[in-house]
Amino acid sequence: MFLSWPFFKAMFKEQRSSLLKISGGFILYETLLSWVYPAIAKTPAVGEIVDTIPSTVKTVFGVSPDARTDTFEAFFSSQFLARIWTLIMAAYGITTANALLAKLIDNGSLALPLSAPLSRSQLLATQAALLFVNNAVLIGVTFGGVYGSTRFFKIKIDKTAYFKLSLLSLSFFSAVSSYAFLFATLGSKEKSLAYSYGVTALFYGLDVIAGLWDKLNWAESLSLFHLLKPQDVLEGTVKPASAIIGLAASAAALLEIAGWVFEKRDLPL
Amino acid sequence: MIKIDGLTKKYPGGKGIDNLSFTVDPGEVFGFLGPNGAGKTTTLRILMGFIHPDRGIARIKGRDTIEERTALKSLVGYLPGELHFFEHLSGRDLLRLIMGMHGGDRELKQKCDSLIQRFDLDIGQKIHKMSKGMKQKLGIIAAFMLNAEVLLLDEPTSGLDPLMQKTFIELIQEEQERGTTILMSSHQFPEIEKTCQRVAIIRDGNLLTVADIGSLNRMKCQIFDIRAENEKAAAFLRQSKLPIVHQNGLWFNVAISGDLSVLWQILSQTRISEFHQRPLELEDTFMQYYR
Repeated sequence: MFLSWPFFKAMFKEQRSSLLKISGGFILYETLLSWVYPAIAKTPAVGEIVDTIPSTVKTVFGVSPDARTDTFEAFFSSQFLARIWTLIMAAYGITTANALLAKLIDNGSLALPLSAPLSRSQLLATQAALLFVNNAVLIGVTFGGVYGSTRFFKIKIDKTAYFKLSLLSLSFFSAVSSYAFLFATLGSKEKSLAYSYGVTALFYGLDVIAGLWDKLNWAESLSLFHLLKPQDVLEGTVKPASAIIGLAASAAALLEIAGWVFEKRDLPL
Repeated sequence: MIKIDGLTKKYPGGKGIDNLSFTVDPGEVFGFLGPNGAGKTTTLRILMGFIHPDRGIARIKGRDTIEERTALKSLVGYLPGELHFFEHLSGRDLLRLIMGMHGGDRELKQKCDSLIQRFDLDIGQKIHKMSKGMKQKLGIIAAFMLNAEVLLLDEPTSGLDPLMQKTFIELIQEEQERGTTILMSSHQFPEIEKTCQRVAIIRDGNLLTVADIGSLNRMKCQIFDIRAENEKAAAFLRQSKLPIVHQNGLWFNVAISGDLSVLWQILSQTRISEFHQRPLELEDTFMQYYR
């Protein structure tokens, strides 16, 4: 078998508490948003204020300039999914990939698993599978939380659109986690974190800059973040299928490279 | 069983090992000695396939430790010098994990239980709450429960109390009777003396000697503490051919193996105020190589 199930279980146990804390935070925040939305939707002044916000400012908050502002999807995307959630999920992927590999190499904890008949590629695949499952759990909790809280507060949503967004999110954060794993195979935990956050900040910066100045629109295509526009997917203005496939393929390719680098590297264990 | 031939690994800082060659026979307990930074851990890491040598070959049972590192892990038990485990797990969880990764048959479980009892370890405790000694016991149990054909042990008794060191020595002797091949780096000379048939001594990455314990015992040198009466006598001793291993003010620490006539001849030409002969230990013989 390519993955080590005993190792997967042990590492899941290590990561369980952070997974629970983040999940709890997501559910609480979503419940809060679903609770206040009906009151906001009944206040026309709020919509007017939103319409007066310059498109550049909307871009900074991850809202497309020509997107609607009067729907739950618009509210939920701008208040949570487009920026806060995306950045928390990206940070979780980077930090966890670092903790699952670079940190364990640095402190020598990988000596025991690598003393078992388990290749480095198998170990990396097991850790990556664990992080992808954790990402899936957090995405499941996020969208499960939306279903639950909107049902409770009687807000209508298009469940299929949310499901499509969850698949896109899974591919997107798998790609982020994969480049974090690649950096984790290359150097110390400090360098790995710096490179992973640096690349993510660069992508984020390109996405924001492209929205602020028309002349720099081209920069958006260089950013990974242009593939994850929650409001556009939820409102059906963007078909996510090709992005899902492209991001999943990128994640697989990055992990393949990470496995090759990891096999070649000296490990101070 | 273990063959190291021309093994070289240089780190950017200059340390590492240089053209190291020795063999360990099947069923032999082999000591690997040297001061800190001599290259013992580097050698063990290459044998475990963790680091790649610049030159040379390391083989276990005829198989290359880099090319066939994953397959070899079925034969090898390893105790690292610096023990770091997954801190949120309990000792029980960690041992279960290792058993699971090695196939997890009933025989492993039985050996594990007997070792836990023998080392008197509370495996229900979380690893981050364990003392260094407890973690060391956990590492020893994890390595020995595997019934491996080859054991690679890096400073195995570091942090153990004298009672547990004795238990460890008995364990090594039992493994030897079972036919296990053991390569063990250590600074604990009594345990080396009691368990190993041969030792390799390295310093600054170079192999100084490979010798059996019997011949090292025969080479035991005699250690003398000599105090010169004054600075003039001290200067004379410094310039003499005496094998001085340490000097502190007027005190000289001299190690001589074999004929003592040189010592008497030199001392007769100057004035000394004190002269002591130390009890002989195998450790003192090793120390000659360490310096």
